[in-house]
Amino acid sequence: MADQNFKKKISDALGNEVLRGALGRFGDAYTIARAKAYEGYDFEAISEDIVRVKSFAASHLDEMLDQFEKEATARGAKVYRATTAEDAKRYVSELAKKHGVQRIIKSKSMVSEEILLNDNLIADGIDVQETDLGEWIVQLAGQHPSHMILPAIHMTKEEVADTFSGHLNRLEQPVIAELVKTARVELRKKFLEADMGISGANMAIAETGTLIMLTNEGNGRLTTTLPPLHVFLVGIEKLVPKFEDATHILQALPRSATGQQITSYVSMVTGPTPAYYADGTVKDKEFHIVLIDNGRRKMYDDEKFKKTFQCIRCASCLNVCPAFQLLGGHVYGHIYTGGIGTILTNFVNSDKDAKNPQNLCLQCGKCTEVCPGKLDIPQMILELRNRMGEKDGIGAAPKFALDVVSNRRLFHSMLRIASLAQLPFSKGQPVIRHLPMFLSGLTEKKSLPTVAKVPLRDVIKKVKQEVKNPKGKIALYAGCLIDFVYPKIGEGIIAGLNEKGYEVIFPDGQSCCGAPATYMGDRKNARKCAIMNIEALEAEKVDYVVSGCPTCTHALIDSFKELVHDDPALLARAEVLSSKSRDFSKLLFDLGGLTPGGDGVPMKVTYHDSCHLKRSMGVYAEPRKILKDTAGVQLIEMNESDRCCGFAGSYSIKFPEISGPILDRKMKNIEETGADFVVVDCPGCLMQIGGGLDKKNQRIKVIHTAELLLEKRKKAKKKGKS
Amino acid sequence: MGIDRTTELYESFKSKVEVLSGECFRVKTSNEAAELVCKVMKEKGIENVALLNSPISLKGKFEEQIGEAGITVYTDRFREVTPDAHAGITQVNYAIAELGTLVQAAADANVDDRLCSTLIPIHIALVSTSTMIPTLAETMAILHRLPRLPGFVGFITGPSRTSDIERVLTVGVHGPKQLIVVFVDEQVEEVA
Repeated sequence: MADQNFKKKISDALGNEVLRGALGRFGDAYTIARAKAYEGYDFEAISEDIVRVKSFAASHLDEMLDQFEKEATARGAKVYRATTAEDAKRYVSELAKKHGVQRIIKSKSMVSEEILLNDNLIADGIDVQETDLGEWIVQLAGQHPSHMILPAIHMTKEEVADTFSGHLNRLEQPVIAELVKTARVELRKKFLEADMGISGANMAIAETGTLIMLTNEGNGRLTTTLPPLHVFLVGIEKLVPKFEDATHILQALPRSATGQQITSYVSMVTGPTPAYYADGTVKDKEFHIVLIDNGRRKMYDDEKFKKTFQCIRCASCLNVCPAFQLLGGHVYGHIYTGGIGTILTNFVNSDKDAKNPQNLCLQCGKCTEVCPGKLDIPQMILELRNRMGEKDGIGAAPKFALDVVSNRRLFHSMLRIASLAQLPFSKGQPVIRHLPMFLSGLTEKKSLPTVAKVPLRDVIKKVKQEVKNPKGKIALYAGCLIDFVYPKIGEGIIAGLNEKGYEVIFPDGQSCCGAPATYMGDRKNARKCAIMNIEALEAEKVDYVVSGCPTCTHALIDSFKELVHDDPALLARAEVLSSKSRDFSKLLFDLGGLTPGGDGVPMKVTYHDSCHLKRSMGVYAEPRKILKDTAGVQLIEMNESDRCCGFAGSYSIKFPEISGPILDRKMKNIEETGADFVVVDCPGCLMQIGGGLDKKNQRIKVIHTAELLLEKRKKAKKKGKS
Repeated sequence: MGIDRTTELYESFKSKVEVLSGECFRVKTSNEAAELVCKVMKEKGIENVALLNSPISLKGKFEEQIGEAGITVYTDRFREVTPDAHAGITQVNYAIAELGTLVQAAADANVDDRLCSTLIPIHIALVSTSTMIPTLAETMAILHRLPRLPGFVGFITGPSRTSDIERVLTVGVHGPKQLIVVFVDEQVEEVA
């Protein structure tokens, strides 16, 4: 769980309207600019090329480093390999001392921020100037960058003007063009006086020993051109095998980072180039390259995190992240921010430093759609969470809840008691403010639905299944919410599949899919749940296993296999289960869909894509087709239909202050469609959106696809009979 | 390259660079290029310019023509003059039609080439039309095939820019505020 200090940082960030405004504007504009920049280009193909070249470099890291060093050295560079931050700092410090350096100019280098190089150099009495405008602003303000590409995105022009005024002892007006002019004039002096340049690189080409940097302001060109002594600081993940491999990254980096087709400048430096020395002579400059490990190798040697080498540091994952868009970068606590930053922090700083920020990931997977390196950041964050859970535990209250959940009898009897016990609180209303029993401590701020009087496992015994010409048998996996809160969805699933000629059975031994444990980093209890369900569902005996909850389906298809991978007998069974498991909409569609029908009564609906259904399973066209085939249904698409609703399981309980604004945005998008119903395929989204509508707009109702079909088609049948 | 294809590539380059607030012209001869450059500099009120001589500027007698137009021309001591010069004129090695990008790839990585194109507020870039390359990928392949990869290869796409304050685009930061590209059709000897 997140600590209080971290919670305070979150509330400060949320309360900072400047930050929220700037991030919000950027987030909206970014999506459009990125799409436009990729027009006419095959993002998928570019990504595949990046993955190919970067994964090759990752699995031949020593060769790459040796080749780079050999080539760069042959061209006259001095290459130093720094294992730790201290090594790198010492090398640069000594170099500066040896040359009597007094003034250093830097063009953007995240790795120098990572190792806190400036502090050392300043302590040595050297004047160190950042020259990227955003970096210079945060340097003058005594802050740290809040974003990899846009370091000062958290500041207004007024704050920048104040910062400049304080630094220059004269009044600067908050006019952006004027502020930029001031920066040009002030930094120009620094460029011309500097006796040493320090810069980062976006790529290091092993084949040619070339360093490539992309900049817009021209500071990169000046930094590498003017001083007669230069040091490139390069993280080892920047290695790219061949010169022409750089093409793929040049195609993706500017488009994904800022929605530009290419940056204003791309500089490719191979060995020392001529420079003017203080005496006016021109000769080759003294040229150093420091290749920095600082925890990276540990990350690339770890099978679960090896793919981080494929990251090209475009920060597009930050730009689309619903949590980052609300909070900005400083909350993450270290130089690297957002989801990818949390992973880097874990390795270049420590797992302790990643402990708080890893909580911020909603697991919505939006970042995986835009990542040009095809990183599954949420999966890696989950791995961190699990490792932390195994090492330090997950806290007493959640541990107790998850222990209960993984004990079927105890959990189910508690839920049954809850259904009776809640009556005095619910006052007969369909929504109450407290889910009683063990969850209550965690749910104080949430409006949650009541537990159903009769769970699906009992309802199903009384449902008459009319199946003409039976084709087979399907096991229904309900999951907690459909079983105990929304049994009506289960009835809809049964009706739909009966119509397709399948009998639906409900294996009684089934229980929670373990997702709450998985997402809270409790792999032990998640494994218990996996085994319980693999054994209960007996997938071998049915044609399919269906679920109306994409999070459960994701567990059936993917997580169970991973959780029991060390037990061959169980793994074999998990694989059978995985191959037979389908989400309801997907299964119905695969079985040929229902014959177009419905009561024909006009019903304006909009559709919300659940994160797991769309991004884990690639299902989004299927439910829409089912809706369109239902007579009377008019589907109006909402803006950002696949943006997370903010539920994210326990997230909405852990971080109601973040989940809330994410839900608000969903509400706005829903309301703008003018629809009367929001259709969802996930009971979690249904609960979240239902809670939001309950508070804000009771005119609009939320309904699961299966339930909608039941309503529309049952009514049609009745009508047909009368 | 056929005339139609060249024009097509030129149009692509021009449209890309103009979107980025660069200016783009095409003339037949080096002499016309000099006339055009003088006219443009006059219009912009440029009083002095750092000229790094190149095949096009020599063929078009730039130094002479600019001088006659009443503009001071510096052709050496670039480290001293470029910080205050009103403009700089250089010839680039290639142009990429796909992106509106100029490519500096002088074999000797001449430092003056970078000073005259970076420190000045207005950069006037001369390009031989025949050096136009359709795509980025082909450009990388051509650079790779050079007998020796130059110590410095610089891509320039439009004037320098920043969006670091409130995401508002401002043109002209540490590099030039204006970029003027002049394509010259006449074949002149390659840049040494």
